[in-house]
Amino acid sequence: MPSTPQLSPQEEQEKLLEEAFNVVKTQSFQMKRCLDKGKLMDGLKHASTMLGELRTSMLSPKSYYELYMAISDELRHLELYLVDEFQKGRKVADLYELVQYAGNIVPRLYLLITVGVVYIKANELSRKDILKDLVEMCRGVQHPLRGLFLRNYLLQCTKNALPDCETEANPGEYEVGTVYDSVDFIQLNFSEMNKLWVRMQHQGHSRDKEKRERERQELRILVGTNLVRLSQLECIDMEKYKKLVLPGVLEQAVSCRDAISQEYLMECVIQVFPDEFHLATLSPFLRACADLHPSVNVKNIIIALIDRLAQFAQNEEGSGIPPDIKLFDIFSQQIAQIIQNRPDMPPDDIVSLQVALINLAIKCYPDKIDYVDKVLETTEEIFNRLNLDHLEHGSPVSKELMRLMKIPIDIYNNILTVLKLQHFGPLFEYFDFHSRKVMSCYLVTNALENETHIPTQEQVDSLLNIINVLVQDQNDQQEDQDDPEDFAEEQGLMGRFIHLLMSDDLNQQYLILNMARKHFGNGGDKRIKYTLPPIVFAAYKLAFRYKHHKDEDENWEKKCQKIFQFCHQTIGALIKAEQADIPLRLFLQGALAAGEIDFENHETVAYEFMSQAFSLYEDEISDSKAQLAAITLIIATLEKMSCFGEENHEPLRTQCALAGSKLLKKPDQCRGVSICSHLFWSGKISATGNEMKDGKRVSDCLKKGVKIGNQCMDTSVQVQLFVELLNQYIYYYEKGCDQTTVQVLNQLISKIKETIPTLEANEETEQIHKHFQNTLEHLQLRKNNPDNVGPSYAELVL
Amino acid sequence: MSFFGFGQSADVDIVLDGQETRKTAEIKTEDGKKERHYLYYDGETVSGKVNVTLKKPGSKLEHQGIKIEFIGQIELYYDRGNHHEFTSLVKELARPGELAQNTNYSFEFQQVEKPYESYTGANVRLRYFLRVTVVKRLSDVVKEQDIIVHTLSQYPDMNSSIKMEVGIEDCLHIEFEYNKSKYHLKDVIVGKIYFLLVRIKIRHMEIQIIKRESTGTGPNTFNENETIAKYEIMDGAPVRGESIPIRLFLSGYELTPTMRDINKKFSVRYYLNLVLVDEEERRYFKQQEIIIFRKADKGKKSTGYKQSRAMQQHPTRPSPSSPGQQKPPQEEQEQATANSQADEKEHNSKEDE
Repeated sequence: MPSTPQLSPQEEQEKLLEEAFNVVKTQSFQMKRCLDKGKLMDGLKHASTMLGELRTSMLSPKSYYELYMAISDELRHLELYLVDEFQKGRKVADLYELVQYAGNIVPRLYLLITVGVVYIKANELSRKDILKDLVEMCRGVQHPLRGLFLRNYLLQCTKNALPDCETEANPGEYEVGTVYDSVDFIQLNFSEMNKLWVRMQHQGHSRDKEKRERERQELRILVGTNLVRLSQLECIDMEKYKKLVLPGVLEQAVSCRDAISQEYLMECVIQVFPDEFHLATLSPFLRACADLHPSVNVKNIIIALIDRLAQFAQNEEGSGIPPDIKLFDIFSQQIAQIIQNRPDMPPDDIVSLQVALINLAIKCYPDKIDYVDKVLETTEEIFNRLNLDHLEHGSPVSKELMRLMKIPIDIYNNILTVLKLQHFGPLFEYFDFHSRKVMSCYLVTNALENETHIPTQEQVDSLLNIINVLVQDQNDQQEDQDDPEDFAEEQGLMGRFIHLLMSDDLNQQYLILNMARKHFGNGGDKRIKYTLPPIVFAAYKLAFRYKHHKDEDENWEKKCQKIFQFCHQTIGALIKAEQADIPLRLFLQGALAAGEIDFENHETVAYEFMSQAFSLYEDEISDSKAQLAAITLIIATLEKMSCFGEENHEPLRTQCALAGSKLLKKPDQCRGVSICSHLFWSGKISATGNEMKDGKRVSDCLKKGVKIGNQCMDTSVQVQLFVELLNQYIYYYEKGCDQTTVQVLNQLISKIKETIPTLEANEETEQIHKHFQNTLEHLQLRKNNPDNVGPSYAELVL
Repeated sequence: MSFFGFGQSADVDIVLDGQETRKTAEIKTEDGKKERHYLYYDGETVSGKVNVTLKKPGSKLEHQGIKIEFIGQIELYYDRGNHHEFTSLVKELARPGELAQNTNYSFEFQQVEKPYESYTGANVRLRYFLRVTVVKRLSDVVKEQDIIVHTLSQYPDMNSSIKMEVGIEDCLHIEFEYNKSKYHLKDVIVGKIYFLLVRIKIRHMEIQIIKRESTGTGPNTFNENETIAKYEIMDGAPVRGESIPIRLFLSGYELTPTMRDINKKFSVRYYLNLVLVDEEERRYFKQQEIIIFRKADKGKKSTGYKQSRAMQQHPTRPSPSSPGQQKPPQEEQEQATANSQADEKEHNSKEDE
């Protein structure tokens, strides 16, 4: 025997299919030739031979489909020919009987269907009886694949031939039939097809199970077409759907006990029938869902239904959900029943159902917060019953729960509304540390994006309890788990969030701040750095508001005092957390605020804050750069303030000057004293309220600066300092300070001019040079355009 | 009919009365060809004319008498010499004498009894014919003309359905019902098969019509089985509870009425054979005899009748508990060897694709 090369399964299929196509081609050609010559019986014989190809068991469903398509195309010729003959009055007697002589059932039934439809189209015999006969005779093909395609052919051919009227239109000998006959017809075909489809699963080796499931999925549309056909019958109204159509479909779906089928059919029902029908049949549909096979993903089915109805509620203008249909209650009860019926249902699926339910509640009943809350409550109960706790981050159930809880946040875009949900907060407890954090950040971010203010102490309290994971350390927290950057970002978020804790009522605001302080105070050293400063700032702001509304509250002064105490103490907490920079700045800010708000004792308070800043400067700040920055700030603050009397101002400014000159590095000293000069010029004493304008002390400071500058060894630093000092001098000169003369300026300019050329050319000196040039240009401008008021630059040597 | 070259000879032909309007029917000959002859029924008068045409005009034909016979006979192929005439009627047309010219004679067999139907089978033939003999000294001039006889039956008073439950224990239980036990030649067999238990992998199911021709008697009986029809009624494997419709049109097949013990020489019986074939090619079958009869034509039927006939269905599933008709389940499993003859025949046809 010649050895044939081994073919792959796919090649095998292609070969078989090609052979079949060849037969189809030849036979259909012959068939058409015979028909052209009017030899009907011969034509039918060729058609029958062609149809014999559909008896094969060798083809995969996909190949069989292709063959089926090719053959049904050819059968259309036969049908058209016969319809044409009938219309011309050349009807063939007993054709319906003649085609039944074919010995093989598959070709016989295809022919019978073709002829039956011709009879229907030609209004021969009773349409009703023909349909009934065809669908009944198809029982003879019990082979799943062949049966499915045969019945699909029946369905395709009768597509436009099904009776669709309420009452018999032709009550004579040949009944046309009514929509009821069509329903019977389709439903019988449907249940037979479904049975065949299910039966496919149980054929062949169990090792091919997955392949079979895949193949079945490819074929499902054949079964679903029945439902599409039902939905296309115009006479089917709500009542008929409820009483006639749906019960039959559900009965078949439930009784077939096959997961693939049930899942598909239920979804199919949802997709093909109108929403109004679904609304009217929710209970039976959902009850059927509860009876489905345990491995059916009921979740998807219900979610699909809910999504559709939710969309319906939104799309349909005016009509919406009829008030007599308690949509939410029905779903809620039926879902509970389904969960109860399915002890093995994965928790994430349960939560998914709740997600769907909450979507429904929000979309159909946007005003009913208690529906949403009810869902959350149910979810909580389920978790309790299942003993679920600390859901691991990233696990399916945790993801689903997150999805569930993000819905109200996203929809309301108002965390105050979210707070009204009694069961929102408690559900947080079921997350693990990480998920709680993610959720909390989500909640806070939402508040920030929507700028939702939290106006009461109680709300602040409950909110901070919910997002507790961001506020303080947790029991289930793992050490050093956090990336410092993430931590900073998350705490930064909290810092921003604190500014949302805002009430129009000042006293309430005070309580809010106290509440926040209480919560955040427990945050630990790492967190309070981010969270307490905003509280302090908010407190200062509140003090200003009291001042603004002092006419409305006679106790405002006391309250302000209390606020400053509160701030003092809060800053103290930061100091205890070994912070220095921030408390120093907060004190200075406080001093400024106290200075401006003229409540009783405000000078004392301001002084206290200033002196606290000084102590921090002295005790806690050791880095020279930080020292310079700090003293600069202190000086600047003091310069701005006008609340101090001479007896307070004097020690403060002296202290500043002293501190400036005591800095360790010469350049720092130089800058310190030169900046300090401003205290003597524009510093203010409360008694007069005027600037001091103490030219002599200014001059002393600057001279001391020049002196220190001279002591610098590094010439480039020296030149830099001189340029800076030159600018200070120019400032005072322009301000009309007597002690600052053109001579001093000239001296300094020539000094700089001497030294600059000796500098090494590099980026740094380039900067210095530029600064100097700019300064000179400014002076040149002044000189060239003298004005009447300002000092004269005439004698300036440039 | 040629004769020696000398003497007068004559052509004889028979012209039946009402020949132009008489119906004809087809019958197979022994070698499988088909012939068409005039059709008569039992009790019908057979009459006509015999024309004797002289071949040589002017010359006389001397004869010893002219007669016509009406003969019904059974020929058994294995016993060719012996024809069994069950009917033999003779009429004398002319006394011995001379014929000087072409002559015709009228004849009439009044209300002839024709008890059996014309039949050509595998081993036996039943035929009716007219024979004209012009008796001569040397060789007679003989002319035979066949006629065909159809026996008509009344629609039977009792025609109960065939209903039966059969099976193999724990393997296959089916219940089937054919709507009648007696069918006329153009009838439709309508029925249902109900699967009560299916534990085998059935590939397909068909209905066969088997014709059994028995000739001879006692130990010398020859049986000849022929599968007249093979009609697939189910493709694939059903599951429990499935019911499969049967609708088989008999007009598509060459059938004769059932013949029982015809003149103690032969019988022709028909059986419906329900055959299930499983995936291992094992065959399970159940045979039931049906009676086939010829019904008098009542003229053209209305199309309404045709329609209901073309769509006739068995109304309900056969009820398993109808008393009287139920027989104990029979094991009828045929495993490869048994009934191999029938099998081999079947293999020649379409089934092996």
